[in-house]
Amino acid sequence: MFIAFRDLKFAKGRFLLMALVVALVAFLTTLLSGLAAGLIKNNISGLVELDVTHLAFEYNNKPSYRNSMIDREMWEGWRNADGVLAAEPLGHTMFNARMIDNSSLDDVVLWGIEPGSFLEPVASQGEALGRVENGVIISKLLVDRGLKIGDTFILDRVLTELTVVGIVDEFNIGHVPIVYTPIRKWQEATYGPPGGPPPGEKLPDILFDYATLVALKLESGLAVTEIENTDIDFGTLTIDKAAAYEASSGYKEELATVNMIQSFLIIISAVVIGAFFTVWTIQRTREIGLVKALGGSNTYLLRDALGQAVILMLLATLFGTGGALWLGQRFIESGNPFVLDPQTVFSSSSFLVIAGLLGSAISVRLITRIDPIIALGTER
Amino acid sequence: MSLSVQSVTLELGDGDQKIRALDNVSATVLSGELAAVLGPSGAGKSSLLAVCGGLRPPTSGEITVAGQVISSLSPAALTKVRRDLIGFVFQQSNLVPALTALEQLLLLVHLKGRRPKAADRERGMALLDEVGMTQRADRRPDQLSGGERQRVGIARALMSEPKLLLVDEPTSMLDQERGHAIVELLAERCHQHQVATLMVTHDQTMLASASTVMHIRDGKLIQER
Repeated sequence: MFIAFRDLKFAKGRFLLMALVVALVAFLTTLLSGLAAGLIKNNISGLVELDVTHLAFEYNNKPSYRNSMIDREMWEGWRNADGVLAAEPLGHTMFNARMIDNSSLDDVVLWGIEPGSFLEPVASQGEALGRVENGVIISKLLVDRGLKIGDTFILDRVLTELTVVGIVDEFNIGHVPIVYTPIRKWQEATYGPPGGPPPGEKLPDILFDYATLVALKLESGLAVTEIENTDIDFGTLTIDKAAAYEASSGYKEELATVNMIQSFLIIISAVVIGAFFTVWTIQRTREIGLVKALGGSNTYLLRDALGQAVILMLLATLFGTGGALWLGQRFIESGNPFVLDPQTVFSSSSFLVIAGLLGSAISVRLITRIDPIIALGTER
Repeated sequence: MSLSVQSVTLELGDGDQKIRALDNVSATVLSGELAAVLGPSGAGKSSLLAVCGGLRPPTSGEITVAGQVISSLSPAALTKVRRDLIGFVFQQSNLVPALTALEQLLLLVHLKGRRPKAADRERGMALLDEVGMTQRADRRPDQLSGGERQRVGIARALMSEPKLLLVDEPTSMLDQERGHAIVELLAERCHQHQVATLMVTHDQTMLASASTVMHIRDGKLIQER
């Protein structure tokens, strides 16, 4: 590193320029990682927070929250199946909602769950389900849209009135805030007539025999064949929790887009760093030939050049990542979907440093091909 | 004897393009002796330096430096020979742009795989003092004149206590007065350090300090005195 350190100081203009490029790539990569994680959280946070291992949809080619419909026989069958710790019906319907004064609340997803079951989230404010008639727990996103505990809002089309009794963190699905409601209220809203049953009448019992899917807690290590056999018995299609994320609308596409942008950034970074060190090595050809003529080995020169690349990459990545973290914090404060967790930051920065070092390693290989005879002036 | 060249031939190129850069060359240079090789451009002067310095293997013949036959060594072994036994003074001095005058000398310590100690710095400063460069020890090549760079090059060549000094046209970038001063300095240093020195030049006026003069033409050493 004797020459490397002095080169960094001597050609600081060139290295600063290169460091700036790496820092900008690190900045963008980290920012995108944070945004990707934020988008994921915003998209499937409701699913992530569900205390389940698997979800059983109505059998179809691919699981769908919108098209699945299961009946009581299915969820009760699952409850009694081998290896099942718990099984609960879960209803999922998207509605447009509005305040009493008709101002819009945009889309909400109504999740029908059994109050007190393992599906009920713990409200960070307010109380649990079931104590107040028509009481619901809402995602914090709806608080940002103007709802608060005690407010009543209306589901469009079905005219069901719901009252906020509790608030949870930003629990969404497909970027739409979740409204947790007792499953009977969900069944009324989803399958019943608009505005509820006519005065003096009650809804037929059969309405309460349906839901969207069965939320499952299965024993760990349960054989896939065991699950498949139960699926066949009850006409369901069971997927694990991670696979259930992909059933959320737009999740796969968003993830693929952000991952593609990140991959391109890392590849571009590797190519740019490689190109820089190729040009730098070519510019230093005469100097490298001289050091070889003086008795410098390829190992010494490669170690020196790679050390230079490591210093450049690490410092620039640190600087760029630091900038992205600062801006990310501002994003979070302004309510944008952005997640800063050490794993996200570390993995994106590491990929960048590794890609940059690979690029530079390929280019500094040129060192081994330089003939020390060029130290004598011209190549003879 | 520190350098022995026995019946060395060097052929370059292939097929019709093949040329004989050195043709059955033999010479010896003793410790403390400055041998000058005079010849026009393209005569084979630099080829002679290249084979003597282990920068190019001869096609045939044998080269011995400080008792070690180097003409059949591997590239890695030749790197070690250059590091431990041979000092180079190049045309235009050939210094590393990012290093100061003292660091040019300390680089040779690093190439041996160890960090310079106080004793190495003292030796470096003493060598710079011998060539009159103590006051410019902290200057980089772009802050030195051509003559000063050449002086640093001489000090660097002596830093690793070589047995053989190979000098390539040391005065080509200097005016005559400075050129003479450099060659005299070289002669003094090689005598003082008892280093066998082989200097190639095309400038006849630089021969006064040489103890032996050889002429080279078309790859053949044609005269020796």
